[in-house]
Amino acid sequence: MRNSMRRFAIGGAAAIGTSVLVLTGCAAPPETDGNGNGNGETSNPDFIPCMVSDTGGFDDKSFNQLGYEGLTEAAQEIGATPNTVQSNAETDYASNISNLVDQGCNLIVTVGFLLAEATVAGAEANPDVEFTIIDDFADLNGDGKPDSDNIKPIVFDTAQAAFLAGYAAASYSKTGVVGTYGGIAIPPVTIFMDGFVQGVEYYNAQKGTSVRALGWDVAAQNGSFTGGFEAGIESKSLAQSLIDQNADVILPVGGPIFTSAVEAIRDSGKDIAMIGVDADLYETYPEGKDLFLTSILKGMKVGVHDVVIQASKGEFDSTPFVGTLDNDGVGIAPFHDFESKVDSKLADELDQVRKGIIDGSIEVTSPSSPKQ
Amino acid sequence: MSAETQAPAAETSNGAVAVARAAVVSWKAPIAFGVFALLALVLFVLNPRAEAETGFRLSTGRDFIQIPDLIVPAFVTGVIVTIALFAIALWSAILVRQRRKTPLWVVIVFAVLFMVGFLAWAAAGETVPVPGLLIGTVSLSVPLIFGAMAGVISERGGVVNIAIEGQLLSGAFTSALIASVTNNPYLGLLGAAIAGLLVSFVLGAFAVKYFVDQIIVGVVLNVLVIGLTSFLYSKVLQADAATLNSPERFARIDIPVLSGIPIIGPVLFSQTIIVYVMYVAVAVIAFALFKTRWGLRLRSVGEHPTAADTVGINVAATRFWNVSLGGAIAGFGGAYFTLGSVGAFQKEMTAGMGFIALAAVIFGKWHPVKATLAALLFGFATNLKNVLGVIGSPVPSEFMLMLPYIVTVFAVAGLVGVSRAPAADGKPYIKS
Repeated sequence: MRNSMRRFAIGGAAAIGTSVLVLTGCAAPPETDGNGNGNGETSNPDFIPCMVSDTGGFDDKSFNQLGYEGLTEAAQEIGATPNTVQSNAETDYASNISNLVDQGCNLIVTVGFLLAEATVAGAEANPDVEFTIIDDFADLNGDGKPDSDNIKPIVFDTAQAAFLAGYAAASYSKTGVVGTYGGIAIPPVTIFMDGFVQGVEYYNAQKGTSVRALGWDVAAQNGSFTGGFEAGIESKSLAQSLIDQNADVILPVGGPIFTSAVEAIRDSGKDIAMIGVDADLYETYPEGKDLFLTSILKGMKVGVHDVVIQASKGEFDSTPFVGTLDNDGVGIAPFHDFESKVDSKLADELDQVRKGIIDGSIEVTSPSSPKQ
Repeated sequence: MSAETQAPAAETSNGAVAVARAAVVSWKAPIAFGVFALLALVLFVLNPRAEAETGFRLSTGRDFIQIPDLIVPAFVTGVIVTIALFAIALWSAILVRQRRKTPLWVVIVFAVLFMVGFLAWAAAGETVPVPGLLIGTVSLSVPLIFGAMAGVISERGGVVNIAIEGQLLSGAFTSALIASVTNNPYLGLLGAAIAGLLVSFVLGAFAVKYFVDQIIVGVVLNVLVIGLTSFLYSKVLQADAATLNSPERFARIDIPVLSGIPIIGPVLFSQTIIVYVMYVAVAVIAFALFKTRWGLRLRSVGEHPTAADTVGINVAATRFWNVSLGGAIAGFGGAYFTLGSVGAFQKEMTAGMGFIALAAVIFGKWHPVKATLAALLFGFATNLKNVLGVIGSPVPSEFMLMLPYIVTVFAVAGLVGVSRAPAADGKPYIKS
């Protein structure tokens, strides 16, 4: 008798456990449908633009989110309903792409270098579907052009913009130490670090200073990484290591990992600035806006938007889009709150450097830069 | 540590001792020492760095007593350390020949010496922030330690707890949500423990009541919690992050006097309440597991459930409630990710730490204190990677990322010796 009561208690407790888990699952609001309001001549409601995220998801406040916004805006303009799917693991990429193909997608945008293999495989298997990949040349066989005619790569020479940010960081730093760290050592991440460190070196050469850039060695292509794109204690302790070395400008590169750096800076109580990546984090991450010296912008939103519009008009081509300082595909954000704290001549100097990079008199060399 | 298996033999009669000794003479320790000493020779002596000096910073800016930086010549330190390492390896070999065991403190001295030599070599021309290295070690170890305690309790009772990862993650999620909504981080802690408890209720019910394979239930639970928290994060927390996902963090509490001790003070006694609870939890669990009736019963159902049942212990209930207790502890530890460290919840922010905690349980031989030390070793290896990555180590970053796992493999394979799980661990007890 007593025993069966106990058993009942155990089963009951477990039932409560499961039902609470299930109930909380049900409490989520229904997904809102982005119903387009077809306006003007670009309207093409039958066109289905689609997108696959990498494991960061569409709410990563940077990379995937920007691509997603570009897609939804373009879809709204043409009055189409986009079809998007998030990847929860690297093993999802190929199956997500083939699911979207089955859904009748006309254009599939894959967000990120990590999806390159799955994209090429998908494009070769489905020659009627158009593909666009962000941040990779889709050139797995190394012949200098995308592996399939139905892939349009959107790539960015982010090193150019990061060079400007490095210059600004070196100019702003009071301790003479700036630092960077990344998520995973892949070209779209290290290209930021290449440009950043070279910008600092250029500043030193121009001004005769010796500002140090920690966390990345351009020659050896070796530096500090969290090993993933998740924000958390790993990222925080890495930022803390930079703070321990007296760095007062920090550039974390890799999706949401910068949020942990914000907390590390708050904990240290020191006067440390950050540089954002991809979007102007002053605008997109208001919780930390007092910390952002500037952000290295990558025109993913515009790039995706334009490709979707083009494709909807039937003007898709596989010529790669390469974002540079020259075509405003990359750039740096305004100083916002730091306007009054940076050197008054800095803006003019950056303008000169920018011109120098565009006309080629200043060389930014990154092995990760897209081949022009 | 390898020779520790001799310990029980020493307690038996003389005849048994001789037999046992003959059986367990192990060359693992001297061989492992020899390998590391050779590594030291190759790195520190044969491949010296161009920079002459290495600094060790011993104080943080906030310390009451400031100790000046220690500057050592890199090459000379490397040579001295290498000689000392070879001497220890030789001594250990002599001890084994004499059929004596290598004491644990020798292993520790060896490890510390190797680390000093390695840092002097890897950080030549730079300054190693010693307190920063150790503070980071503790903060990276806290969730591992909580997870390991959950694993120890659960496995001592005979239920393999693969779901530690899910319990940590559910705790991190719930604590951020509740602390944000109520503006009270203490309620967040309570919520975290309850979330961990609910996850382990499922594990306990399937493993204990329905005899489902415990490993499969654990794996499924991890995937379920990852999916559920990621979904809720995207659809609920992100929709209104200001009210739902911006918890107040716990402030650091400086323990008077103790926090003023150089090096140790800022590392151990200037922490959040979660870390202080962890100290108490480890001590209480270590005591209770071996000295109280609760501990004896728990271990008995894990070692020999039939015998325990015969003397009137309710095996199913004991297992179920202790798995639940473990879940609550892991859930509580999950709150460290948010309330104790970075504030807002992020998707999959536990990043596999629950599995490392499981490794710490095995490495620590199902003993609370040893599992804690194992977790600390793991945290140290991770933070060493961070510090060396930042100051620009000569070791490639990909290798540095493997470092914590290599340390674990070496430690488990080379130094632990025989690691014996509770006899009935993972086996459902079906009462006939």
